[in-house]
Amino acid sequence: MGSKLFPVQEIGSLPKAPWLLNYLRGKDAGPSDLDHLSKWSKVSGFENESETRTILTKPKDAANQARLRELASIFAIRYLESAGLDYVYDGEENRIEMYEHPVRNSGGFEFYGHVRSFDSRYYRKAACVSKVAFQQAYHLNEFLLIKQHAKRRVKVPITGPYTIAEWSFNEYYQKQRASDYSDLRKLKFEAKRDFVLDVAKQIIQPNLKALVDAGAEWIQVDEPALTTKPDEVPFFVDAYNECTAGLPCKLSVHVCFSDYRLLYPHILKMKNCSQLALEFANRDDEKRSAYDQLKLLNEFGDKREVGLGVADVHVDDIESPELIKNRIEYASKILGDPARIYVNPDCGLRTRSWDVAYAKLTNIVKGAELSRRSFS
Amino acid sequence: MVEVHLSGVFPRSEKLIDATRAAVRGNLPQAEVDRVLRHDIDSLVGLQVESNLDALVDGQLNWQDLFRPFNQLLTGIDLGSLTRWFDNNTFYRQPIIVEKVSLKSNDLQEYFRSDLLPNAPHKKAILPGPFTFAHLSENRAYSSFSDLVNDLARALQRTVAALQERGYEYFQFNEPSLCAPGRTQPELEIAKHAYETCAHGIGGTSIIQTYFGDASQVIELLLDYPVDSIGIDFYATSIDSLKQYDFNKILGCGCVDGRNSLLESPKELKTFISRAKESLEPVDIYLTPNCDLEFLPQTVAEKKVRLLGETKRLVA
Repeated sequence: MGSKLFPVQEIGSLPKAPWLLNYLRGKDAGPSDLDHLSKWSKVSGFENESETRTILTKPKDAANQARLRELASIFAIRYLESAGLDYVYDGEENRIEMYEHPVRNSGGFEFYGHVRSFDSRYYRKAACVSKVAFQQAYHLNEFLLIKQHAKRRVKVPITGPYTIAEWSFNEYYQKQRASDYSDLRKLKFEAKRDFVLDVAKQIIQPNLKALVDAGAEWIQVDEPALTTKPDEVPFFVDAYNECTAGLPCKLSVHVCFSDYRLLYPHILKMKNCSQLALEFANRDDEKRSAYDQLKLLNEFGDKREVGLGVADVHVDDIESPELIKNRIEYASKILGDPARIYVNPDCGLRTRSWDVAYAKLTNIVKGAELSRRSFS
Repeated sequence: MVEVHLSGVFPRSEKLIDATRAAVRGNLPQAEVDRVLRHDIDSLVGLQVESNLDALVDGQLNWQDLFRPFNQLLTGIDLGSLTRWFDNNTFYRQPIIVEKVSLKSNDLQEYFRSDLLPNAPHKKAILPGPFTFAHLSENRAYSSFSDLVNDLARALQRTVAALQERGYEYFQFNEPSLCAPGRTQPELEIAKHAYETCAHGIGGTSIIQTYFGDASQVIELLLDYPVDSIGIDFYATSIDSLKQYDFNKILGCGCVDGRNSLLESPKELKTFISRAKESLEPVDIYLTPNCDLEFLPQTVAEKKVRLLGETKRLVA
């Protein structure tokens, strides 16, 4: 990307292609699935529409499912490229979701059932029942496919060690410390540290290494849970340093919907992290006060790049290019160096429709271009 | 002998989860959801009886969150956005206070299923505490926070009175906000005043349940509140940090972790209870989970209920 100001990057997952979901569920593609495929193939220049249509009519066996998954990845890459992004992935089309995917592909975890997220929404929460273990490089094949097909530069998102531990029950590591049962608070706290560090060492580090060995140039560590328990932020910093030490690639961390003050000063000790990608648009107002949180970086002398969240992923309203430009320029003034700013949606767009996500992404690209002109 | 109770929302069974999901998608009539719900409540009541628990709860299985029923039961409350529930990966709809709050009617049947609880041993009702309720709401109607807390306390007092008529004897007010970081002396005074209203005249046992936070920061004032019992989350508060205070109330000993699937052993729990008794010398002590069990899958939560019963036997 060189000296291009305000490169636009993907930050997380897209909605799943409906024709892929239905096929995997054993359903035949309906008219709306085919319309979706047709519409977005035209928009994005997806070169495999015909093959995709053919597979959708074929038996839903393992080989066809595997190929359709690959096609869905390529489909999403083209979608992001055609929206104008500079850094792409595949919208995580082939991951179950950001928690279950790594946990189901690693050792030491067991699922007991659902817990409630809110109302009548639930998620599966795993228990760590034995020492966590690397089983396979669970993003490797996905990355190799994307690397082969992407026409833009690639950034790989991977769920971080703290979020995996925080979203799991901690049985094994607490049992290891069970002799210290007199102070339950201390027991739980220390067992959590053991858990986070071991996820970093045993699971994340070999996964990162496999991606780097395969040619990954930039990996984004996703940590949406990072500030959930403020006194545990240092666990993440130690874990992050443990699993990223010596890796010869660009590394960044994505945090969202959090009080970023809780990250400081701890994250200043992260050694191999060149960008913090943060959500802001969701909490913004006309005064751009959400972006005032960037002053924290100045306050603590944090000179890293910022992945600037400029589009709210929780609403269908489409931010105008002018609003995006305004947000970028406001942030640039605070940081004092526009070259440190990359631009992205707040978080993954998976809860939006394909139409809304595309409109948001294309306006981000337009807004970044307006800012670029303004700065040149 | 130590009493044993549950202290919050119980998780839904996989069948009820499926039913509620199907209902949201419009694929299952509400009557069928209610049938599965009724089965879950009966099953939980049976489990509590079998495990020899001393005060029975209905599990609040149709409560979408701690405040949602009161959106229906009280005047003046709208539903707001999804908001993180303390340090959990769980969310509630923030109540928005749009006008004066008060209890609409004494018909509480939908959310307090006393009809499904046997008459013995005892019935326990779990309610949001007035301070936490106000603290986690968006106040668009009251000029002062204390006025809102007081009106919520009055509404809860009327709720309690109605529940007493339905045979409830234990009344637990959930107050996680009271032990959240940053509480000030004036706030704690406002909360105390609220309890002079909502716990006033309770014929049974009034409990303030603190959880998710370190109660040692506020316990000195809480021990002066006009309630019978204070529940402590011992996964967030150390026994040693409470030693210096005269624990002049019944201690709700929250040492069964509602947020971890690891099953404690009855022996460990017995040792912990003994230590809490010796260190704090409370008026009395009962064993309870540190918070709702809804953070666990239902099969694990059921094991924790049985564990409570086993521990009770062991301690006896």
